[in-house]
Amino acid sequence: MRILKIACLNLLFYPLFIIFSLTTFVNLGIVVIFSSLFLSKRKVLKLLRQAIRWYGAVIIRILFFPFIRLDYKNYGANDPPGPYLFVCNHRAASDPFLMAVFPYEIIQVVNIWPFRIPALGIIAKIAGYLSVREMPYEEFSLRTRELIGQGVSIAAFPEGTRSRTGAVGNFYGAIFRTALETGAPIVPVCITGNESVPPIGSGWLRPGVIKIHRLPAITSDRYRDFSAFKLKNYVRDIIAREVQAMDQTA
Amino acid sequence: MASEQEIIKMVNEVFVESFEIDKAKLAPEANIFNDLGLDSLDIVDLVVALQKKFAVTIRDDERVRNIRTLGDLQQFILTIKKEIGK
Repeated sequence: MRILKIACLNLLFYPLFIIFSLTTFVNLGIVVIFSSLFLSKRKVLKLLRQAIRWYGAVIIRILFFPFIRLDYKNYGANDPPGPYLFVCNHRAASDPFLMAVFPYEIIQVVNIWPFRIPALGIIAKIAGYLSVREMPYEEFSLRTRELIGQGVSIAAFPEGTRSRTGAVGNFYGAIFRTALETGAPIVPVCITGNESVPPIGSGWLRPGVIKIHRLPAITSDRYRDFSAFKLKNYVRDIIAREVQAMDQTA
Repeated sequence: MASEQEIIKMVNEVFVESFEIDKAKLAPEANIFNDLGLDSLDIVDLVVALQKKFAVTIRDDERVRNIRTLGDLQQFILTIKKEIGK
């Protein structure tokens, strides 16, 4: 039965994903070119980032359904207004798509390889996503401060690579230095259940429930006196504890 | 000049003072990246703290690139101090 489910999921998902992606990218290209004739660069980027969020939302809410379901819990109802720095654990290639659950203008901090994905990489680059390993820290710092200043939230996966064991790995500190420089609230985001969406080294998606917990924001009142090193480990510990609890209740 | 044990103690103090790392973790074989959790940006802070602590300039020293463990770092600082003392 499970094998049948896996086969159905993959046979349905991938053709729809390819068709939907190609259609979206062509339409997005037309919209971006057309709107750039009339709108400011800032407005075009806002439009593009919104469109990327819709694209992600269709994939995780519609194309995954009914085999892969989302269980999103927002514990940040009393958070101060954004923009935010979303800091997430990282287990699967599907993580970037899950950022579509957050109703904000967001860019993501990515590793080198997502920029090399055909079409998707180009769109991410145009939308202002940051390839952290391909830029000096000074440029990263400048760009993130500009984005926060424009009201754009930033999502980062500071483990830098997918966890092979499920345990939350060591964090890189660049995004936490941005927090200290801007005072933006840090939102810990814990994701479990997508270890097999898809598993590392395989393209086969497995059915299941993806849990996303948005934890309460950590405001600059709490962290402003921390060093970047202390801050990254403080946030890492919060995420690691929640991820462990989520795994135990899975 | 400080003794070898004093220099090792001072190197460890940098990790405690600048990074609030538990003393118990400061074993010579501890990997600075994997075990102590420093990243490339933290290394810049570490170098600054070490320069201040030991009144040396190590920022442009090529040997820094080969340091992996706390023991490597302690030996490097000992070597630098010996070179200065000559």
